[in-house]
Amino acid sequence: MPVWNIIQAVNDALRVEMRRDPRVVVMGEDVGKFGGVFRATSGLQEEFGVERVFDTPLSEGGIIGTAIGMALYGLRPVPEIQFADFIFPAFDQIVNELAKFRYRSGGEYPCKVVIRTPYGGGIRGGHYHSQSPEAYFAHTPGLKVVIPSNPYDAKGLLIAAIRDEDPVLFLEPKRVYRAARGEVPEGDYTVPLGQAKVVREGQGVTVLCYGAMVHTVMEAVDKQGAAEYDPEVIDLRTLVPLDTEAVLGSVRKTGRVVIVYEAPKTCGYGAELAALIAEKALLHLEAPIARVAGLDTPFPYTLELEYLPSPERIARAIANTARF
Amino acid sequence: MPRMSFREALNQAMCEEMERDPNVFLMGEEVGHYQGAYKVSQGMLQRFGEKRVIDTPIAECGFVGIGIGAAMVGLRPVVELMTFNFSLVAIDQIINNAAKIRQMSGGQFKIPIVIRGPGGAATMLAAQHSQSLESFFCNTPGLKVVMPSTPADAKGLLKSAIRDDDPVIFIEAELLYSEQGEVPEGEYLIPLGRGDIKRPGTDCTVVAYSKMVRLALEAARRLDKEGISVEVIDPRTLRPLDDELIFESVRKTNRLVVVQEAPPHSSFSGEVIARVQRACFDDLDAPIERVTSLDVPMPYAGHLEAMVLPDVDRVIAAIRRTLYLE
Repeated sequence: MPVWNIIQAVNDALRVEMRRDPRVVVMGEDVGKFGGVFRATSGLQEEFGVERVFDTPLSEGGIIGTAIGMALYGLRPVPEIQFADFIFPAFDQIVNELAKFRYRSGGEYPCKVVIRTPYGGGIRGGHYHSQSPEAYFAHTPGLKVVIPSNPYDAKGLLIAAIRDEDPVLFLEPKRVYRAARGEVPEGDYTVPLGQAKVVREGQGVTVLCYGAMVHTVMEAVDKQGAAEYDPEVIDLRTLVPLDTEAVLGSVRKTGRVVIVYEAPKTCGYGAELAALIAEKALLHLEAPIARVAGLDTPFPYTLELEYLPSPERIARAIANTARF
Repeated sequence: MPRMSFREALNQAMCEEMERDPNVFLMGEEVGHYQGAYKVSQGMLQRFGEKRVIDTPIAECGFVGIGIGAAMVGLRPVVELMTFNFSLVAIDQIINNAAKIRQMSGGQFKIPIVIRGPGGAATMLAAQHSQSLESFFCNTPGLKVVMPSTPADAKGLLKSAIRDDDPVIFIEAELLYSEQGEVPEGEYLIPLGRGDIKRPGTDCTVVAYSKMVRLALEAARRLDKEGISVEVIDPRTLRPLDDELIFESVRKTNRLVVVQEAPPHSSFSGEVIARVQRACFDDLDAPIERVTSLDVPMPYAGHLEAMVLPDVDRVIAAIRRTLYLE
C-alpha cells in the first residue's frame, strides 16, 4: 500500500471519483493548470480536461454560486476555496442558498456540492491565512462538516462526501498537509460520514479533537507525559453529523473530558461538545469539562504558538482533569 | 418615566448620540427618505440632514465596508442593515476587517462602528428571512454582540455601543419593535457586558435574551402558580458575556435552562453551558437543559414555523426536567 500525505490522498480521492462519475467537476482559483496552491488538484486537468477541471477568477461568491447552479442541474461540483479565510465572501451563498436549497425545494433540488478548503494555523500565515471557521458552518442547518486528520481518512471521507446527498464543507488541516503521512489504499473506499474514530483507547480521560489538533494531542500524550493519565483520544472526523454515541459512550466510561480545538474558544465547536455532554451525561462526570482552544483574539502573526493549543497546554489540561 | 416603543427608544438613542457627537452618523438602505424600513430612523433625515443620515444602495458589503473605513479615520458610523439576514453578504467585511483591524494595526486604528438592525423570525418569512445569526458573531474575536429585550435596555445599550471603540453587532428582534416600556430620559447608559436579572427566583435559572426573555418570563409566571420560583437572567450583551451574574444565580438555584431562538448546534447557548458546567460543576443538581429552534432551516408554513421555534411549553417542560418533575 502506498504511503501518502494528505495532499496526495485528497488528489487521489478526486481522481477516483472523477473517473467513476462524469458528473464530478473540480473548480477554483488556480486548481487547473497550476494544480492548486497546495498541489491538491495536481494533474487532474491533464487527465480530465478543462471542461471538468477549470480555473476561476478570484471571486469566491461567484465560485460557490456557480457550483450551486451546476449542482441544481445534476452535476457534483467540488469547488476549492484557496484558504478557509477567503470563504467569507461566499458566506451568503453557502448559508442562504447551499444549505437551504434541498429543504426549501421540498427535496426536489438536492445541492450536492463539496467545498474543499485548507484551514487552520501554525504556518505563520497571519490573520488571513490561519483561521478555523468550522463553527460557523456547524451552526448552519443543512450543511455537513468534515475535517480529516490523516491521509487515510482524508481520502475515504472525501469520496464519501462527494457521494453524499447533502452539501459538505470539507476542511483540510493545512499545517499537517504533508507532515501527516500514512498508508492509503489504492482505488475505491469510503470512510462513512458521522463516524468518529478512537485514536488511542484509554480509561482515564476522554480527549475530543479533530483535524490538526489530533496530532498535537498525540504529542501531548506521547511526549508531554499525558499518557500517565490513560487518555482515550477520539478523532471526531465529522463535526456534523456528530457521532454522539461515540462521544457520550467514552464520557460515560471515563467520567472526564478535555476538548481541544484551535478555533477561537468562545462559541466554538468545543462549546457545542461541552453543552452536549452537560445535557446528556452530566451525572457521569467526575470533573468539569476542560476546553483547550485558540485564544479569544483575532489570529496573531507573531504570537501564533501562544495562540494555538500546544502539547504542553493540552497535557496540563489532561492532568488537571484527571486529578480533579 | 415616559413610555415608548422599542423602535422609539432606539431612535431616541441615536438622536441623542448624534446631538452629542458630530462624528456619529447613520447609513443604510432606506434609513433616510423612507424613514427606515421599520421606521427606526423616523424623522432623523429631517433633523440631521443628508450628510449624516445617508441612504445607501442595496449593497451591504459596500456600505459596511465604507462604514469600517469611516470608523478608521475617526467617525462613529451606525450602519443599519435592513435585516441581519443580509449581514451574510457583508460578513467578510465584518469578520475579516471590522473585527481584526484594531489588533492588526497594533491599536493604531480603532473601529467604533455599530452595525444594527432586526434579526430573528417574524411571521412566516421562511428560511432566508428568519435567521438568528448572533452565534456567528459571538465566535468572532474582536466583535461585541448586543441583543436587548426591552425598550429601556435598547436605549441604554445602543448609546453605550455608539460610544464604544470596538465594532458592535447590535441585533434587534423584529417582533419587539412595537413593544412598549418605560424608558429613562436623557443620559441613560447601560454598560456593555452587564446582564440583568429580569425576574428573581430560587429554584431554577433561565438564561434568555432578546425576545426569548418574554417566553422565559411567561414560563416563570405560570410555574409560579405551582410554587416553582424561576430566576430569569438576560445577559443583554452576548459578547463579552456577564458570566459571573449567571454563575451566581446557578450557585443559588443549582439548575440551568438556556433559551435561544437560534438553532442549537455550535451556538451561544453552548458557550453558556460550557462555562457554567466548568465554573459551577459542584453546584449543579441536574443536567443543563437547552431550548432552541430545531436544527433545520426555518420553514415557511406557519404551523411548521411554530413547531421549529421555542415556545413557552417547551421552556416549562425544560425547567420541570431540571427539577425532576417530568
